Amino acid sequence: MIFKYLAALKKESLILTRDVAGLSLLFIMPMFMVVILALVQEFGWDSITREPRIPVLFVDNDRDSLGSQMKHGLSEERVFEIVTVIDTVRVDEAMARRLVLEGKYQIGIVIPEHATQQMREKVQQLVNQTMFRLMYPASNIIPRDTGTDSVKVIIYFDPAVRNSFRSAFISAVQEDNAKIESRTIFETFQNELRKTFPHFTMPILDYRESLYFQEVYPSGKEEVLIPTTTQHNVPSWAIFAMFFIVIPLTSSIIKEREEGSLIRLLTSPVSYFTVFMAKVGVYLVVCFIQFVLMVLAGIYIFPLFGMPALELGTHFIALIIMIIASSLSALGYGIMVGTIARTHQQAAAFGSVSVVVLAALGGLWVPTYLMPAFMQHVASFSPLNWAHAGFLDIWLRGNGLIDVAEYVLRLLLFFVATVTIAAVYRKLKPAIST
Amino acid sequence: MEEGSIIVLKNLTKFYKGSDEPAIDHISLEIRKHEIFGLLGPNGAGKTTTISILCGLFSPTEGEVTIDGLNIRKDLEKIKYMIGVVPQEVALYPTLTGLENLTFFGNMFGLRGRELRSRIETYLHRFGLEKFARKKISAYSGGMRRRVNLIAGLLHRPKILFLDEPTVGIDVQSRHVILEFLHELQSQGTTIIYTSHYMEEAEKLCTRVAIIDAGKVIAVGNPRELVAANPEFKNLETMFLQLTGKDLRDDI
Repeated sequence: MIFKYLAALKKESLILTRDVAGLSLLFIMPMFMVVILALVQEFGWDSITREPRIPVLFVDNDRDSLGSQMKHGLSEERVFEIVTVIDTVRVDEAMARRLVLEGKYQIGIVIPEHATQQMREKVQQLVNQTMFRLMYPASNIIPRDTGTDSVKVIIYFDPAVRNSFRSAFISAVQEDNAKIESRTIFETFQNELRKTFPHFTMPILDYRESLYFQEVYPSGKEEVLIPTTTQHNVPSWAIFAMFFIVIPLTSSIIKEREEGSLIRLLTSPVSYFTVFMAKVGVYLVVCFIQFVLMVLAGIYIFPLFGMPALELGTHFIALIIMIIASSLSALGYGIMVGTIARTHQQAAAFGSVSVVVLAALGGLWVPTYLMPAFMQHVASFSPLNWAHAGFLDIWLRGNGLIDVAEYVLRLLLFFVATVTIAAVYRKLKPAIST
Repeated sequence: MEEGSIIVLKNLTKFYKGSDEPAIDHISLEIRKHEIFGLLGPNGAGKTTTISILCGLFSPTEGEVTIDGLNIRKDLEKIKYMIGVVPQEVALYPTLTGLENLTFFGNMFGLRGRELRSRIETYLHRFGLEKFARKKISAYSGGMRRRVNLIAGLLHRPKILFLDEPTVGIDVQSRHVILEFLHELQSQGTTIIYTSHYMEEAEKLCTRVAIIDAGKVIAVGNPRELVAANPEFKNLETMFLQLTGKDLRDDI
């Protein structure tokens, strides 16, 4: 049994290594995919350190403090690059509207004329009303409303802009605006108090925000792993790429059947289990090398593109076991698809599409916590979800083998289940066409 | 069971899934030790199905098969050591060399080391392939592939050899070498079961033949005796055409 397994292992290795171009692609393409997808993700909207920044056409018709403070606030976001002049021409509202409509710029923001004045009047009115109530609490008179409208800031969005991008920009603008308005209210109150109580010497105070936020990432180890986009991206795309092993594996199974060698194997005193376990053995090594190369890309290639390097953490045994368990689940799936599919076309179409579906369900693209409850339930059945959760545990939470044991077990059970389905199917259905 | 029979088929029937017509219909045959037995028939007659059942690739729907006294349903693993199969397709790995293919298939029968190397060398020499042993199968001609395909079924020196159209589509020289070798094997005690569309070849080669049509055996016997017993037939081919008809038999 062992001797036959080793012979089958040798045969599979020879077949694989004979196709040097194919083998190189098996290693290069996943690395390429991880780098490209991580780059796209890194420089997508999610990033706070993106370079180059998103250009925003800024039309300041106010030419007062509101306009300049908003401009300053947006620049501070580190995401936007404020554009006020294009080719020596100052951007006006019509130009901003046209350029956004043409899709040359995604955002244009117009601060109207006298916006600062309007805002001050509005704030002054609010302060006056408050001070009047303070001075004359029993009065029924309500101070006259000056009728000042709220300031209308127009934001032009390219229709192709995604909702998440739009919401994020509006949040950023609203946040800036809230700060400016609070500061203005604070200053107006100070001025009004000085006017009302001239004998009272009030120190000049600076407006300071009363809340600030400290980000803390609970970790299973003393050294805190900062969850950079790389820490998120490498496991996601590496698992995704790893499951694409389904394609060459199914191709190898179907080729063996189509070329007729399977007939000889089935009439030899060797079990089908031995034959496909030899494939698993060889492709497990391929998966492992693929994963290591993708990790190396995360460590050495990502920084070349300005992305943070992947931090491996310290739980290497847990990491190796997770790689093996994830690879086995991918291989089991490939064995099952390759055994059931009748043709290369069936296997390639089903194999690739199902991996994409399992990846989407598994939360590799959109985190599962953002999915509806039903989808979250479905996601919990995806082996890619288990693999992903395991790697995030190791790389982001600093967890060890005990913590990922549940995922390892699930992945191994998935492997056993898929291989059993393949073996039962092979027993029930003849391997050769009739 | 006749004395000296090595393969016995009793009422062997096979229905494929989704088909109302049996691929083979209550076939009963006895194949004797050391004979070259030809299974002849038009396309779709049931030859490959019969051989596939005898090799353990399919289970029969009904009926019994015993090979050297062993039941194919119960003792398939033991039977596999006893039989050699040369499929109709060239069942080899094209990206491996002839030597690598033969070593691998020899290993699958538990052969290894010097013993295996010696057998491979002997057969490669016998079939004029020793110079090409380290070339990939994909570089071989059709005739060379057929010869390696035959060797792969012989390495473990089976008692019974199944050949499914071993000479189809090959050059005259390769065919001659193969047929000559089959005679040699028979004289050494191997029982050979062989299917073919070439009546002349079967008439010369086979000790006995069974003509199968529509899944049923319609004639069994020594080809020369069968022809002699029916003087209206000039040879096995005319007899075959008379028994199975001249209509084209396309099979999918």
